[in-house]
Amino acid sequence: MSDPTPTRLPERPGEIIDRTRQVSFTFNGEIYPAHPGDTIASALSAAGVRTFSRSFKYHRPRGLLCGAGHCPNCLVQVGDEPNVRSCQRAVEQDMDVNPQNAWPSLDQDVMSLAGLGDRFMPVGFYYKTFMKPSQLWPHYEQALRNAAGLGVVDQGTPWGAYDKQYLHGDVAVIGGGPSGISAALEAAEAGANVLLFDNGPQLGGHLRWRSDSDDTSRKDLLEKVQSARIEVYTDTDVLGWYQDNWLAAVRGDRLFKARAKAIVFATGTIEVPTLFDNNDLPGILLGSAVQRLLNLYGVAPGRRVVVVTANRHGWDLAADLLAAGVELAAIVDERRTRDHPASVDLAAAGVPIYNGSALTGARGRKAVSAAVISEIDDSGNPIGPGRVLSCDTIALSTGWEPALDLLYTAGGKSVYQENRAEMSVDPVPDGLYVAGSANGADLLQARVEDGRVAGRLAAAHLELTEPPPQQELDKLALELSKEERRTSDRISAPDGKKRFVCFCEDVTDVDVDTAIAEGYDSVELLKRYSTISMGPCQGKMCSVNALRLCSRIKGQSVQETGRTTSRPPTTPVYLGVLAGQNMEPVQVSSIHDWHLDRGASMMVAGLWLRPEHYGDATAEVNNVRNRVGLIDVSPLGKFQLTGPGAPDLLERLYINQWRNLRKGRVRYGVMCNDEGVVLDDGVCARVDDDTWYLSTTSTGAGTAFQWIQWWLQSGWGGNVHLTDMTEIYSAFNLAGPHSREVLRKLTKRDLGNKAFPYMRIRRTRVAGVSCRVWRIGFTGELSYEIHVPSSAGLHVWEALMEAGGEFGIAPFGVEAQRVLRLEKGHLIVGQDTDAMSDPLGADMAWAVKLEKPDFLGKRSLERISVDGPHQRLVGFEMTRKHIVPEEGLQIVKPQENGKLNIIGWISSSRFSPTLKKSIGLCWLPSDIGSEPGATFTIYQDGRLEEARVHHGPFFDPGGERLKS
Amino acid sequence: MLVVPCPNCGPRNASEFRYAGEYRPRPHPSQDVTDDEWATYLYTRSNTLGVHTEWWFHTSGCGLWFLAERHTKTNAFVKSYLWGAT
Repeated sequence: MSDPTPTRLPERPGEIIDRTRQVSFTFNGEIYPAHPGDTIASALSAAGVRTFSRSFKYHRPRGLLCGAGHCPNCLVQVGDEPNVRSCQRAVEQDMDVNPQNAWPSLDQDVMSLAGLGDRFMPVGFYYKTFMKPSQLWPHYEQALRNAAGLGVVDQGTPWGAYDKQYLHGDVAVIGGGPSGISAALEAAEAGANVLLFDNGPQLGGHLRWRSDSDDTSRKDLLEKVQSARIEVYTDTDVLGWYQDNWLAAVRGDRLFKARAKAIVFATGTIEVPTLFDNNDLPGILLGSAVQRLLNLYGVAPGRRVVVVTANRHGWDLAADLLAAGVELAAIVDERRTRDHPASVDLAAAGVPIYNGSALTGARGRKAVSAAVISEIDDSGNPIGPGRVLSCDTIALSTGWEPALDLLYTAGGKSVYQENRAEMSVDPVPDGLYVAGSANGADLLQARVEDGRVAGRLAAAHLELTEPPPQQELDKLALELSKEERRTSDRISAPDGKKRFVCFCEDVTDVDVDTAIAEGYDSVELLKRYSTISMGPCQGKMCSVNALRLCSRIKGQSVQETGRTTSRPPTTPVYLGVLAGQNMEPVQVSSIHDWHLDRGASMMVAGLWLRPEHYGDATAEVNNVRNRVGLIDVSPLGKFQLTGPGAPDLLERLYINQWRNLRKGRVRYGVMCNDEGVVLDDGVCARVDDDTWYLSTTSTGAGTAFQWIQWWLQSGWGGNVHLTDMTEIYSAFNLAGPHSREVLRKLTKRDLGNKAFPYMRIRRTRVAGVSCRVWRIGFTGELSYEIHVPSSAGLHVWEALMEAGGEFGIAPFGVEAQRVLRLEKGHLIVGQDTDAMSDPLGADMAWAVKLEKPDFLGKRSLERISVDGPHQRLVGFEMTRKHIVPEEGLQIVKPQENGKLNIIGWISSSRFSPTLKKSIGLCWLPSDIGSEPGATFTIYQDGRLEEARVHHGPFFDPGGERLKS
Repeated sequence: MLVVPCPNCGPRNASEFRYAGEYRPRPHPSQDVTDDEWATYLYTRSNTLGVHTEWWFHTSGCGLWFLAERHTKTNAFVKSYLWGAT
């Protein structure tokens, strides 16, 4: 039997896998072994797997590239979870891992015939190829989505448990490498509470996997962190910076919302690939990915490696490979110097070293079989015939890009440093600091020192300590300026070969060239047209190469070319994490459970859950009209005004008159804003001389409270106090011809028409509980609205139900109430009115007291009253009595040319069981609406229906029943 | 997220507040207010680039209506205070 893990090396110092134990998982249907500590990618690499995925557009085979969770190449499906970064996800026993974007198989992908795709998918192909005929676009789109899909979403996946946590710190440090740790330690030492975020499983950053430092540096730093006042969050991605130093960060299923007074961005660098022919073949890895494989997981990237570099990191890597016993085919260095300490050993080991040379291409079909290198001139252009080196792996270490995306989202401005071929941020916004390799520091000592200074500056920003002396800052700046260059900006001109700039979206240098030639020559346009940097890596792998290419083609500097805007999230995040828990809080009344027990069908009304009906709304209507019903109206807004200033306030808030209302009396009132638009309505009672009690609509209660508070707190609050009683009182409306008889059984008060007439309020004991009882009538029947302390709500409700038994009492819900009030022609604010409705048009002109010195809406209503309202709210009946037009339908006027002009709309409509016909309320032009009996036309489902204007209540127009 | 300085509660997250727009003194309707003046009060906003005065309500907090002076570009608050104070 062959070795299942042919490229697993003997134990490496510092590795994080547990070789004493083994787990197994499946990939693409086959079983693979792994050790605890392995990622999916490291385990697959140990088994010699080279192809992890197929590319987005051309379906080319792709293998492990960055090993750092940035690029799209190793995305896999794990169970029902798509787009998992296999280089970051730890292997678990029996994990079911599958490749994405490959059909019928990873090995034989039909779409890769879309090497054919070349011709059919030029840059901007979405915009060019599939546009005509446009009615076919949905079909094109479907086919394209299937061809270019990134994993499969399982619609049956159960709702995950996501939560969030708020964090508060003085200083937040992003990045737990040597500079971040130093910054955190320094700030903590000065007395700051420090939050330290790192996206790795442990702190240490590159010290975990790079061998340029001895392990003691890392252990030393970690020990100090443990003893300092630092909250450490590992495995945590910081997604973005928001206003006032608010950071969004994610760990697993948890979203952190962190606030800090100062932030240190020790975000490190991202190693970036370079452009050469076939630069996407499996077997081409970034140097840092190779070092991670070697030093964290004890895996060789292949059997014969060419190291391509332009800095010391490639030499460090070569030394590691040599020490691990991996065969080195060559070291290719763009630079002409050879001063790395390891060069002597490497030369002695017989490794061919090519200075002043660069990689120009790779060869191979499904994976790398050879590297093509060439000597280069001083401008980086290849000279001579080139040389072919047989190998199965190319390790690229030619450039680093400071990870500044987060700092850009915080308002940092990018400046391209030509001499280092790297971006930097200048100026850095106040209270924010950048440190370590993100700040251009490369040698370990410089990183530590740079972090320390940033931590000190952050603490000084909080005035916890003095800033470091200028001398120290100058010395550090000088040290950083002497740092060796680590990034090559060599870029070849497009020549027709396949060189991928963007791996996520399969964009080549030729595509960039074409896009620019077509006029998309500013970076923001280029991005949108070519989709470069719009894939999963969000530009981490491609944006700097795209900029270099763009500036080379256009013959301008990278700084002049500019860069595209960075926006959060800077790392992909589950939508579930952002959505959080599925919480929809609702308010319920004190007798909610009673409603449920009686089988009420509940509806959401504003924030409240209310019974819509108890099975048969029509029967409920009939019961109120013929016997007696009881409705829970607890959601009504209930406010108490106390103090001698109350009448003044009421006079200003309402369009009505209040000062003349006598004690114990009730009046219907309407509130408008200064535009003269109806805001709310309700009844208001003078309970005694200085106490007023008012109700508002159920859905408008919160808004009305804020509205009244606003005026109270801005000059109209003299000698008056407002109390929100909405939840303190439950409210029930007892309505119907038998309501007096029911209530009489529960109270000693005289309920006779003389002692307690219509539109009065009385303090009354009901079933032994002190209540406020209003005699009012939204339903048009004799009715009593009982406001009872919520703690006794259920008691009084049940007493009423019991007392009403002999009279045939039944509960009724919101739907029956809507029918009952419509039969009386009563409007509902928000249903029959909108943001354009004034009281003059809404049939409430009688309530508008323009003679008052001031009230909200007065000036506007004065203006409207000059010409009268353009539109009126009126009742209507249908010519065909059984037709109920839907609410919201348009009222139209047929024109001579056959077209229909919209002249109004239906705001309420129901079939009235009492009158046995369809009735409603609608808005009409004043001339039509003012004429009872005038006919008009409603447009419903392509038909025209005739209706007639009706003024006043449809039922009991004299109001005899409610005054009985 | 923006931090809003409540004169009662101190700095709190903006999600606790209702923003109610630019402060506009209300002309008294009993005086002669022309249609233009009234329409300006109702519908015209200065749309200042710089510091302007605006209304906030501490909805999920103390229930205070207050005025704040904020720079409309940088979001920096200059101060916040109760109506009638400055």
